[in-house]
Amino acid sequence: MMTTTTLQVQAQASSSFAIRIPPSSFTSPLTRSPHRFVVRASVDPSEKSIEIMRKFSEQYARKSGTYFCVDKGVTSVVIKGLADHKDSLGAPLCPCRHYDDKPAEVGQGFWNCPCVPMRERKECHCMLFLTPDNDFAGKEQTISLDEIRATTANI
Amino acid sequence: MAVSVWASSSTIPSSKYNNLFAAAASSSSSFSNSSSLKFPLQRLPVTWVCSPSPSPSRPRLLPLVKAKKQTFSSFDDLLTNSDKPVLVDFYATWCGPCQFMAPILNEVSTQLKDTIQVVKIDTEKYPSIANKYKIEALPTFIIFKDGEPYDRFEGALSADQLIQRIENSLKVKQ
Repeated sequence: MMTTTTLQVQAQASSSFAIRIPPSSFTSPLTRSPHRFVVRASVDPSEKSIEIMRKFSEQYARKSGTYFCVDKGVTSVVIKGLADHKDSLGAPLCPCRHYDDKPAEVGQGFWNCPCVPMRERKECHCMLFLTPDNDFAGKEQTISLDEIRATTANI
Repeated sequence: MAVSVWASSSTIPSSKYNNLFAAAASSSSSFSNSSSLKFPLQRLPVTWVCSPSPSPSRPRLLPLVKAKKQTFSSFDDLLTNSDKPVLVDFYATWCGPCQFMAPILNEVSTQLKDTIQVVKIDTEKYPSIANKYKIEALPTFIIFKDGEPYDRFEGALSADQLIQRIENSLKVKQ
């Protein structure tokens, strides 16, 4: 029986471990997967949240007249970070900050994307929304799910 | 608690690290247990960013390896054991600029191998260390000299800018 197990690990005070075993592991031995016992310790946000944050990022870049980074990998990582916080905290807390108490920060709201510095001064230290004069700003305000997958495949 | 630091290029400069290297050999299994162990009682695997041995006359005990894991019982231990200033990168997995800096740190570590040791701390895995040094924005870089924070700056920068910053910062003390 081939099993693909993904361990989801959260290194927070309230640690939770979730093991997902895809249904394919219980099918006939004839449908063997080439991958045996793949255990990945990386945490990946849900597809749904990634899609929501991807759409949000495109919309907000258009609305604010900002552009994505020349290196779309940066954009992708931040979008995944926002999706990850949306999954775990219910709101897209800025992934480029360290917090003492994340739920409290979500409640307070200052660092919920789009954060106050971005809304007030178009300052995004995550390098997600870049003003045209920024050295790292590209010319695009769009990013596809394929791009996100491709550029974050090794994380 | 384990201190996890990522290596760019490295070697083991002296024999005292031999037993640590042996511990690192089984690091892949013990790493997953690190969050359940208390420090300083347990020795936990740490990936130590080293640079190639500066002196060609000093025999290299082990071949040059890309990623080096060594064990330290605490972050303080790591800082005390370093004979060079330490550049610490406080990062998070899903911080875009932090991931952007990864190859740049490799390059800087190699170029400034005699000047500084480069170490990365995952703030999600070691929040108490991040809290201790009042880390807010990521990435935050702190240059430690003699175990104490000496210089500190935030945000992504190019390899040249980073080298410039490190050299300027360390020059003042000399």
